[in-house]
Amino acid sequence: MNKNNNAYIIIYASVMIIIVAVLLSVASMALSGRQKDNIAVEKQGAILSAIGLGGDADKVKDKTKYIQEEYRKYIVESYVVNGEGNVVEGVDAFGLLDNLKAQFAAPVADMQLPVFVAKLDDGTELNVLSLYGAGLWGPVWGYIALEGDWNTIYGAVYDHQGETPGLGAEISTPIFEHQFDGKTIFENGQFTSIAVLKGAGASAGNNHAVDAISGGTLTSRGVEAMLHDCLSTYLPLIEKKRAALETANVASNELTVENHE
Amino acid sequence: MSKGDKEPMFSAKNLKLLSGPLSLNNPVIVQILGICSSLAVTAKLKPAFVMAISVTVVTAFSNLVMSLLRKGIPNRIRIIVQLVVIAALVILVDQVLKAYVYDVSKQLSVFVGLIITNCIIMGRVEAFALGNKPWPSFLDGIGNGLGYGMMLIIIAFVRELLGSGTLWGYRIIPESAYACGYMNNSLMLLPPMALIIVGVIIWIHRSKNRDLIEK
Amino acid sequence: MENVFNIFIRSIFIDNMVFAYFFGMCSYIAVSKNVKTALGLGAAVTFVMVMTVPLNYIINRFILEPGALQWISPSFADVDLSFLSFIVFIAVIAAFTQLVEMIVEKFSPSLYNTLGIFLPLIAVNCAILGGSLFMQQKEFLTVGAATSYGLGSGIGWWLAILMMSAIREKITYSKVPAPLKGPGIAFIITGLMGIAFMSFLGIQIN
Repeated sequence: MNKNNNAYIIIYASVMIIIVAVLLSVASMALSGRQKDNIAVEKQGAILSAIGLGGDADKVKDKTKYIQEEYRKYIVESYVVNGEGNVVEGVDAFGLLDNLKAQFAAPVADMQLPVFVAKLDDGTELNVLSLYGAGLWGPVWGYIALEGDWNTIYGAVYDHQGETPGLGAEISTPIFEHQFDGKTIFENGQFTSIAVLKGAGASAGNNHAVDAISGGTLTSRGVEAMLHDCLSTYLPLIEKKRAALETANVASNELTVENHE
Repeated sequence: MSKGDKEPMFSAKNLKLLSGPLSLNNPVIVQILGICSSLAVTAKLKPAFVMAISVTVVTAFSNLVMSLLRKGIPNRIRIIVQLVVIAALVILVDQVLKAYVYDVSKQLSVFVGLIITNCIIMGRVEAFALGNKPWPSFLDGIGNGLGYGMMLIIIAFVRELLGSGTLWGYRIIPESAYACGYMNNSLMLLPPMALIIVGVIIWIHRSKNRDLIEK
Repeated sequence: MENVFNIFIRSIFIDNMVFAYFFGMCSYIAVSKNVKTALGLGAAVTFVMVMTVPLNYIINRFILEPGALQWISPSFADVDLSFLSFIVFIAVIAAFTQLVEMIVEKFSPSLYNTLGIFLPLIAVNCAILGGSLFMQQKEFLTVGAATSYGLGSGIGWWLAILMMSAIREKITYSKVPAPLKGPGIAFIITGLMGIAFMSFLGIQIN
């Protein structure tokens, strides 16, 4: 048989392509469920760790199940707002996490920004916002949990795609992340965001700043920019919530005053 | 190789296929193949290890498949057939990694895909599998994959130990050493150091095996 | 968010294919013995790269991405072909390399002879597949950004191999310890050049 005959080549190539295509599709379909779970669980795990939960994930046998159950238990509600702070109906907040980059780049009125509401065991309500920005080598992202006053940071987590291990990549370690706990993003009603300052101890006593990673200045700067940009994007919503709190406070104060009379 | 010769599965010759690439014929430091993509995953031991296994699996199976197909492949589309087989194997590996060790697959990111263009795999298929029986080809693939993986692991070992003071994520250099003023060498974690380490390994290896010295 | 020119500069100097990612090392070490061949190979790689990255971007955007097939019919919204991306990218690259090979053979037979085996091997040059895979990972928003990334990465690789070959031409007159001769010293030089290139980190043009 002549192996260099055109007909032979075409038949050979077609048979090969069909075999490969079938094989790959079968493999992809068989494994895609597991892969999707992995991706979803990773995000749920990140949201949980922003509110200081899910830390036992590596100790339990079935990590997937553990995270899913914890997530269902503590994340009580999620909604989507646009860049003007108005709630957008009929959009799945969790699904948006697949493509945050496009959301933050969209025109203000078309943005769809996810907000997750968590309720801890002691009844504290936390609001988790998502963050997305650019590090040194690639995207960085994360979640920031604000307390009920929409000002104090309860916790934050970061992740990255390709920052240098040991340097920029340290942003995803608890040491860096826990620095944010308890910091505030407003100063006398003015939005300040959180600055990431170079040099160990540079942020001591500053309620709106944390220390940068030594050797990872550019990545740290990326985190700072991300916090500022993303929180500014959420700002209309945050302002609305704060204004509502204020009115509620004033109302309750008046109420107390009336009671005294 | 004459037809019907009944070699034992692990004859001396076959064993040599396995051990040769580990030193005298090492694909990385002697043949200078496949440095390409994978040095980027050597800053830590764990991804380097997963990468080493993935490359070994792909090399072994692409050698096996190509050796089985070698009599039927039309010469004109040989390269394309090789690429398709290798790419298909790499996709399988990638899917399995994503499904079962998602954390590591995230760290390896695009570098899994780049196994396709790892010169070792193409090189072994061209140089060995197309002219040999399936079993020796399979062994040759494993040998070369291991020889390659060994280099990755040596480099990752040095980089993680000196750069982060850890191995496989566990702290090796005690805290007390840091208290005495020891510092991690962050330079080790940056990409250029991987190249310099390869250079130094070649230096050491060639001073031990003088036949390999150029000219 | 990122502008096209910024991506271009970054991909030449900061995300340099050779110094930051070790892409295309095989041909980089083997073909950098003299400047003329290096110049030719660099040009060929840059050309293939600037053509294949945008092409693969379009393919990725309209065929492979999850939900990319929606433009045919909304019922395809759930189709995710991204598992095929490796094989499709490499096929596009192989086809383009074939084209470049034919062009070079026709117009410059001498270059064709000196490049020898490495011309068809551009297809398996990690830098080119790497370019396409990074393009997919970086999720560029426009074709322009992807093109500028492809061009920048190609030029970055070209620059690296050109500098390397110039250094190696000179180094033949130096006393290198015998076991380091050839690839050994080439790796160490590349490492040192990589360190020098790290000083470009942080350049941002907006």
